[in-house]
Amino acid sequence: MNEKMNDLPKAKIEKSRLSLFLWLIPIAAALLCAWYLGRDFLFAGPTITIHFQSAEGLQEQTSLLQYRGVTVGAVEALTLAKDRQSVAVKVKLDASAANLAREGSVFWIVRPEIKLGSVTGLRTIVLGDYITVQPGQGARTNFFMGAENAPIAPIKALAIELHSVKLDALQAQSPIFYRGIQVGEVLDCRLSDDAREVVVHARIDEQYAPLVRVNSKFWNAGGINFHLGLFSGAKLSAESAQTLLSGGIAFATPPDAQNAVSNGAVFMLNEKSEPAWEKWSPVIPLRSLPEAQTNHTAWPNLSTN
Amino acid sequence: MDKLVACQTCGLVQEVDEVPKDSVIKCARCHFQILHRRLNSRARTLAFSLAALILYFPSNLYPIVTADYQGQHIQTTVFQGIRALFQHQQYFIGSLVFCTSILTPALKIIGLIFISLTLNRTYWKKTRTWIFKVIRIIDPWNMLEVFLLAICVSMVELGEVAAVHPGRGVFSFAATVVLTLLATLSFDSRLLWDSPAEKRHYE
Repeated sequence: MNEKMNDLPKAKIEKSRLSLFLWLIPIAAALLCAWYLGRDFLFAGPTITIHFQSAEGLQEQTSLLQYRGVTVGAVEALTLAKDRQSVAVKVKLDASAANLAREGSVFWIVRPEIKLGSVTGLRTIVLGDYITVQPGQGARTNFFMGAENAPIAPIKALAIELHSVKLDALQAQSPIFYRGIQVGEVLDCRLSDDAREVVVHARIDEQYAPLVRVNSKFWNAGGINFHLGLFSGAKLSAESAQTLLSGGIAFATPPDAQNAVSNGAVFMLNEKSEPAWEKWSPVIPLRSLPEAQTNHTAWPNLSTN
Repeated sequence: MDKLVACQTCGLVQEVDEVPKDSVIKCARCHFQILHRRLNSRARTLAFSLAALILYFPSNLYPIVTADYQGQHIQTTVFQGIRALFQHQQYFIGSLVFCTSILTPALKIIGLIFISLTLNRTYWKKTRTWIFKVIRIIDPWNMLEVFLLAICVSMVELGEVAAVHPGRGVFSFAATVVLTLLATLSFDSRLLWDSPAEKRHYE
């Protein structure tokens, strides 16, 4: 028996290597957890609260905050404010977008909107409503009051006031033409304090601001002008197809152009033009804009699309 | 400890000397490992189940699936999935998913950690046996893998309708699955009733 045993081969005995690395596995797991936590709490962007009148179209955990078409945050929670007058929308910003949480930032909800003269937010019909932002420059803050509508595009512009006897077809966003080129738009229309006139607030894009002089004449270019003359026959004219529906304003500046105006200048809005006005063609150098800004003057308002 | 063993792979009967700790026996002919006992059973079980326990938390707190469907960015954790099942009156399937993917994995991981930590305490022997019984009972119901499979299938099948991505928790979820499997494989139930001398040698 003993002899037989000696003939048998001997199994080899080797040191196991795995046991050395064994405890690296839970350590790696712990490191992974630490990384998850760090990413969520240390490197995460701030959570901001935006108060909206209505959060219609937004969904918890689902709706996004987009800026320039890039997702920079997500809606975490929607809660009714204590006074039930607003909805607090909690948005978790990405770390890269922490800079958006500054005083002066304007947040609004982009919804599909179809108006005369412009169609905006069509994408949201398919992709759902989302929040977007116009960044501000102030101090860091986490509380915002949401805007109901897209803020007026951040265009440097000349603000003017036009007084008229009646409104006709004018409305917000009605165009303002100079020689048929759109150079501005109506911001809002309201009745004057004493109810004797209609006050139309309008803005002229910065580039075209020099065209407006103290002695410029403004007239209502909306609708159709219908002239019936004994010798000229019937004459039909309209400024553009858009003004047929949404109304519009045109203006002209006489050849002896006087001083340029500053913000808040007040003009009379005439009901219609006089033939002489349309023949005026003074030489006025336009203000050239830096390259980056010219994009902003594109119309309709690109920031809402 | 001179003894004869037969290799499970090639059947060669051979002689084995005393095996020191942290060593493996290799067959003289086919060089496959000859297993008398599972190697380092206790340490391995502890390491794997500890890692599984650590990753159990992110795998249940972070979304497993992210679906982009009609502009909605839907993130779902395992728990939210179960809640959705309950909201749709699927109580049976909801509880089944809860048991197989949340309850039993947790019980099993904690049980394995308890057993491997208290192996040297003689007075907890009965508790250990009881816990091992429980693990044996719940083991068939521990089906994390099925959930993982469901995710993979939905990612492939729904690819046309919705963009389905693995969520942030999917890596830790998969790791929990694998680590739990490894912990089960490394655990040698004989440790439960080994005498203290055997324990010192085999653990």
